Amino acid sequence: MKTGMAKYWKIGLSVLVGIGMFLFWYVVYPHALSYQEQYQLFLWTWDYLLERLSLPGGFADWLGEFIVQFFYLEWLGALSLALLFVALQRLTARLLPESWLLLSVVPVALLWWLMGDINVLLSLPVAVVLALALVCVRVRRSWSWADVLILPAAYWLIGPAVWLYAVIRVLQLGWKHLWSAGWLLALQLMAYAWLLPQWPLQMAMTGLSYYRIPLHYPQWNGYDKDMYELIRLDYLVRKERWDDIVKRASEYQVKTPFWSNCVNLALAEKRLLADRMFDFYQSGEDALVMPRVRDLTSMLPSAETFWHLGMVNSAQRYMFDTQESILNGRKSGRCTKRIAECMLVNGHYQTAAKQIALLKKSLFYCGWASEAEQMMGDEAKINAHPVYGKLRRLRYKDNFLYSYDEMDKMLGLLFQNNPENKMALDYFMGQMLLKGNVQGFVQFMGWVQQYGGYRQMPLGYQDAMRCIQSQGKVQGSPYANYVKRMTERRHP
Amino acid sequence: MKHLFLSLCLCVSVFLLSCSSRPDNPTLVSQLPAIYPDYIGVTIPADIAPLNFNFSDEAIDRMDVIVKGDKGGELHVNGEWADFDIDEWHALTEQNQGGKLTVTVCTEKDGQWTQYKDFDIFVSEARLDDWGLTYRRIKPGYEVGGDIGIYQRELGSFDEYAIITESVVPGRCFNCHTANRTNPNRLTMQMRGEGGGTMIQKDGHQTWVETKTDSTKAAGSYSYWHPQGDYVALAVNSVHQAFFTGTGQRIEVYHTFSNVEVLDTRTNELILSPLLQTDDLEIFPAFSHDGRWLYYSTSKPCRVPAEYEKVKCSLCRIAFDAEKGVFGETVDTLLNGPATDKSYVLARPSYDGRWLMYCTSSRGNFPVSQNDADLWLMDLKTGESRELKELNTPQSESYHNWSENSRWFVFSSKREDGMYTKLYLATIDEQGRISKPFLLPQRNPKKFYREMMDAYNCPDFTKTKVSLDAHETYRQVFENKREHVKIR
Repeated sequence: MKTGMAKYWKIGLSVLVGIGMFLFWYVVYPHALSYQEQYQLFLWTWDYLLERLSLPGGFADWLGEFIVQFFYLEWLGALSLALLFVALQRLTARLLPESWLLLSVVPVALLWWLMGDINVLLSLPVAVVLALALVCVRVRRSWSWADVLILPAAYWLIGPAVWLYAVIRVLQLGWKHLWSAGWLLALQLMAYAWLLPQWPLQMAMTGLSYYRIPLHYPQWNGYDKDMYELIRLDYLVRKERWDDIVKRASEYQVKTPFWSNCVNLALAEKRLLADRMFDFYQSGEDALVMPRVRDLTSMLPSAETFWHLGMVNSAQRYMFDTQESILNGRKSGRCTKRIAECMLVNGHYQTAAKQIALLKKSLFYCGWASEAEQMMGDEAKINAHPVYGKLRRLRYKDNFLYSYDEMDKMLGLLFQNNPENKMALDYFMGQMLLKGNVQGFVQFMGWVQQYGGYRQMPLGYQDAMRCIQSQGKVQGSPYANYVKRMTERRHP
Repeated sequence: MKHLFLSLCLCVSVFLLSCSSRPDNPTLVSQLPAIYPDYIGVTIPADIAPLNFNFSDEAIDRMDVIVKGDKGGELHVNGEWADFDIDEWHALTEQNQGGKLTVTVCTEKDGQWTQYKDFDIFVSEARLDDWGLTYRRIKPGYEVGGDIGIYQRELGSFDEYAIITESVVPGRCFNCHTANRTNPNRLTMQMRGEGGGTMIQKDGHQTWVETKTDSTKAAGSYSYWHPQGDYVALAVNSVHQAFFTGTGQRIEVYHTFSNVEVLDTRTNELILSPLLQTDDLEIFPAFSHDGRWLYYSTSKPCRVPAEYEKVKCSLCRIAFDAEKGVFGETVDTLLNGPATDKSYVLARPSYDGRWLMYCTSSRGNFPVSQNDADLWLMDLKTGESRELKELNTPQSESYHNWSENSRWFVFSSKREDGMYTKLYLATIDEQGRISKPFLLPQRNPKKFYREMMDAYNCPDFTKTKVSLDAHETYRQVFENKREHVKIR
């Protein structure tokens, strides 16, 4: 009876861990899964596997990426992660005395907390699970010499996480087995000296693929609320869930240009930008489109904005630079797809073919890639496409140099290029308000009346006009508040 | 048991043979085969890697290729693509040096074989003599370098080796690797941005120099060794990019200032000339074969990027006395950019002193980003120039360099897709005739180039394999130890 209870308790704890993890990732943090998925492009090719296996920790890296590709579908991603954490808990439980069963959730909790750092790659938990699995193989005491062979193989497959195996073996077999730790250290140094000429010692010792940023290490900060809020908004932008963004923005705001970019794009897509733009936090002149920032996240909402506006070249540039800012040198499925789309719209079929050929080797992008391949070179098909055809009509007809500092003019020209581009008109007027170009705003109100398609002057513009006419002295005016905040920022 | 083993071997052999079908009564067609890369009628050195090629139509089932040398020898391959054995290829090319190889291509599709018109590949009398090529591989992006690396490729095989990659110096942008007339016992490389500097490696000893001083505007970039091996000419500039809204050229690269200086690597002294430190933009220095002249390009300053179309570079030269380490006092203008409404940059004199190859475009001082950049050749005996129509295309041709014997040159071109630069080699004879260039061979070229997401730039020949201790580079870069230079 007691044994039966213990068995149910064991299974029950694992089920609890599994359900907890699944609900956490699927219900609370699906955007975190999307975030991880968008910074890799797992390819189903031997070359891809061999490339990973050419470095220490490569198998864990490959397996981690293999799992992360399923994050494309949130439920599948959450399920994969739940299973991984259940495996971790079960393996830990096997190594602990039965009475310590509850302690088997400690590594789960620690790794879960560590994964709050967005740059921790799944290869780390995978490597830990593999190291524990290796311990559980339970090589007999008399065969302890087998570690002479196991350690180099394990180091190459899972990386420095093999230290977990080495330490537990020493604890299991006693101090006489300490030589294996020395052997492992020697192996790492030899690998550094002879097999890793293009890697720093620090990384050879601590892992090449556990963390996205080379020469940096995981932080124990858990799940930073503001950062994950921004990730959530980017996820919603990626999924084009505009209503959810507007709803979310009304509940919680993170005062950054990134947040403003996402919210403004959602407002524009719902044609609410002219009415409600200043009801929400505006970061400044960069609130509609951010300047170039060298990191892997900041430019994404601006890239999406460019895409929806019809500034196809800029969308391609921001996506390209975002992809190249992934410091572990991985491709991005999301960026590659968008780059290919930009190339299709611009009629650059040969370069698009390269991107499409790459995407065709992935699991979740290959469907789109196959469809896109059918369109290549078929002008009529692209022109008739609801998105690509529209963007061809919206994009610039004239060739001139992009200027971020003159974004209002860029947007004005975009609108002039095609007066059907109402989003460009909203952005144009919005940018002038952000910049404080009140003369321009007043001057081009005629465009709003003529082309805006509004039955009455949008509330946001009414407010701005009142504010301009009374030189900012309007109580409760959102635009007046913005102007005041900007003035204080410039002259604190 | 022995019989069983032999029977098994026999069965496997029969099975394999039955899988590789041979041309059987092929239909003869009078057209040349559509192969990738286009190696039809190219001239190659005997010591180049096999010119493997694919059939452009991917729907074929097999290819059967026979290569016959007019001085003897034959190769026969049969498979998905023409994949020659390296040793057999070299035996054939060595035997036919100065002659030609005739290639017969048959393809099988839906059980039907087609035989195309034969084509020739000419094997030059001139050998390469260099071990390989060095080049940088970088994504053809915009303002973020990403996962870049400097690599070397053995030209007699398909082997590529990393010299230095992003993984050893994460987040750093490096380029402008330059050896002395293909000899890597003198090597320089620049790293931009935080912790940047100029690496000077002499006879395997690596030092990092901070070339920016109070009297110079920036650290050195585009460089060129003096043939004597003690001086390095450097352009000192600030490079930027602007972006077009149209669907043609994507990027306009421009410099807000640029000067030229020479670093004496024995004393770490900078040698300046007021003629090269003007408000004009002096750029892309290159010493003549005897080191007595320094070629460079110069343009008048204008408000870039707005006036990008006004950037017209002239090609100039100034005397340099290596004994005294001083410049001459006059500048010769060889090609006048504003007067001809062109821009002349990237002067590369051949090491035998016979030719000067350079880029011509309608504007700008960064030809790889100019679609209309073409290669031109100046005869240094007569001073006459001509466009190299044999190899130019509507896309950019640039980044050319000579082999040590000056009979071969490498250049980069965007001819295939307008974005991903690839490397081409061609030969030049005594009369300045240029052969049809050939794309750098790869084991499976179609697969390789389709999957290659990098652009090649700054290619150069290397006489021997480059030896650079990347671990030492990491230490020096991150410890930020720099030797400071003085002005002479």
